Amino acid sequence: MNLLALYCTHQTTPLAIRERLAFASREQLAKAYAELRRRCPESEAVILSTCNRVELYLAQPGDDTEYTRQQLAQFLSEFHAVPLDEFVGELRADSGSEAVRHLFEVISSLDSMVLGEPQIVNQVKEAYRAAEEHGACGPLVHSLFQGAIHVSGRVRTETKLSEGRVSIASVAVGDFAKSIFDHFEDKLVLIIGAGEMAEETLRYLKDEGVREIVVINRNPERAERLAREWNGRAEPWADLDHWLGQADVIVSTTGAERPIIDAARFRKARAAAVGRTAFILDLGAPRDFEPAVGNLEDVFLYDIDSLRRTCDEHRHARSREIETARKIIAEEQSEFMAEFHRRASGDVVSRLMQDWHGVSKSELDRLFAKQPHLTAQDREAIERTVERIVNKLLHPPLETLKHESRDGAPHGLIDALKRLFRLDG
Amino acid sequence: MPNVNLSCFLLSYLVAFGLDVARLRSKLAWSRWVAILFGGAGLLAHTLYLLLRSSQSQLPPLLSSAHDWLLVLAWLAVLTHLFVSLLDATIASGLVVWPIVLALVGASYLVTSSQSQVLDFHRGWKMLHAAMLVLGTATILLGLVLSLLYLWQHRRLKGGQMRNSGLTLPSLERLERFNRWSILVSVPFLTFGVATGVLLSFLNDDDARLAWADPVVLGGSVMWLLMCGLFAWLLTGQRTPGRQVAWLTAWSGGFLLFMMVGLQVLTEVTRMPSLHGTGAKQQVRPMAK
Repeated sequence: MNLLALYCTHQTTPLAIRERLAFASREQLAKAYAELRRRCPESEAVILSTCNRVELYLAQPGDDTEYTRQQLAQFLSEFHAVPLDEFVGELRADSGSEAVRHLFEVISSLDSMVLGEPQIVNQVKEAYRAAEEHGACGPLVHSLFQGAIHVSGRVRTETKLSEGRVSIASVAVGDFAKSIFDHFEDKLVLIIGAGEMAEETLRYLKDEGVREIVVINRNPERAERLAREWNGRAEPWADLDHWLGQADVIVSTTGAERPIIDAARFRKARAAAVGRTAFILDLGAPRDFEPAVGNLEDVFLYDIDSLRRTCDEHRHARSREIETARKIIAEEQSEFMAEFHRRASGDVVSRLMQDWHGVSKSELDRLFAKQPHLTAQDREAIERTVERIVNKLLHPPLETLKHESRDGAPHGLIDALKRLFRLDG
Repeated sequence: MPNVNLSCFLLSYLVAFGLDVARLRSKLAWSRWVAILFGGAGLLAHTLYLLLRSSQSQLPPLLSSAHDWLLVLAWLAVLTHLFVSLLDATIASGLVVWPIVLALVGASYLVTSSQSQVLDFHRGWKMLHAAMLVLGTATILLGLVLSLLYLWQHRRLKGGQMRNSGLTLPSLERLERFNRWSILVSVPFLTFGVATGVLLSFLNDDDARLAWADPVVLGGSVMWLLMCGLFAWLLTGQRTPGRQVAWLTAWSGGFLLFMMVGLQVLTEVTRMPSLHGTGAKQQVRPMAK
């Protein structure tokens, strides 16, 4: 068995190169599989191409043909028409057990930009599905990728690698807003300014069911554009205080040089909203709300630093789980390799058993022909006894073979068995 | 009948509480199930204990003694908590519920466990009176738990401490809504309980004389008036900040718990005549033919 993984990832290769080597469209992927089949007809292959990585997995059942890193790099170069010397230094390659470990780490998100992110599992599954669709999968790849999916499940359930949100907007909505409000369908969201982070926060709020969105910006065109995009309405800057009094969730990213809302102004704006909770996300730097606003009754004010602190704590908590995840991966990797090696010796084992049982059967047939007086019961008893003798004689060599397979394919033993019992013939 | 005593379930509840506290530090999935298991085992022992006492006195637990009455209240609290814990794996209600349950079970040690030997007069009315009061009190205790959870969550949010602390609390909005409902539901129960108590005292002259000097009755009436005030304020007043409602409920619930247990213990220690304590035994009447 021969397994090779060739890859360039966000950890090793700049985006400028990754994007030139990516398999961006379905058509491109189909062509790539066709080309791989032409170049490596005996191989099973999977191409994994995402915004953070381009990876090729190649597997052959025998040890006769071995494709090299150079050959695969050549394929990438010719397929994408990118000169080899522009990227060959950025490529990494692993073979055998290391290639297995790499795939297991990738699918468990240990190699991802955001540790514990869940998308990579679907991306790997999708790559595997596409390989199947293009007829590039065989028993080795099936077993490798199904093993990888199993590993990702174990890592997800047995570690806390995916716990805690790690982006500012997801923490703001998932951890804070949802701890304040039970539901969002009846909440009014006020967006002040139109920064990128406000849009990201809006996406999370929309997912929670927010219906009413008001956008206020000094630049009415920008307010209109954002409001249109999110099915909200733009209101004039002059009405800011009115909407401050109406809103339940306030997201602010004005980019102003100093705070635009102090405690007195906010208290006045909320005078008619006694008893109503206001959740304020001040995503501006410098801040748009004076910190004293957060001291008001029923006002929960969070600035970018307080949210970032929570994100960092979640990240830190996730990184503490890396060691546990690696242990699971190492365990699964060695199980997987042992199984692979057992399969390598599987042919020899089955032929040996077939031969020995064949000999015993022909000898028994001869015996029964000479002893016609034997009853059906006698015959069955003799057959069972001989079968047990054959199995007992085969047991020690087969156990040794199984034991030796744990540390790698036992080529020496397999060769010896083949020669001793003339299994090639 | 099995040999069950107070210590059996008190210890189970203590272990369950300890495990819930431990969950603050580490988020071990098994600790939640072990806590539920201990709570469940305690509840089973608790139920058997009440059944045993009920069969001995031939009276429902609510009518036999102050000891049993407090234990019924604790039983209701445990049942509700276990139900909520099974529905939501992450909610940290145990940290608030267990101390209240332990306080109630502990207080039941201090009050009379002597059971009324005969209770034939207006048994139905007395049962209704006790049941309404226990339901009203249980609802106020629920409000106390909710308001403490609200104040805890409020503090966490104001301090921006939404870290992986191994526990979660319901949203402020949900806690506030349930808290308001607990007050609104408790007052009709209490009112009906008080009304049936007054009716019972009028139905029997001896009880009437004793009732107006009974510290448990007097304290309970004050409590009922307070809750009625809170009820009216919530229904008629302006929209109130959730934190204020939580503080008021916490104070009323805490005060109720303190008065209820304190007055029972007081009548027990001072041997004051009471319809709800040791004095009740002195008022036992001959069985009607």
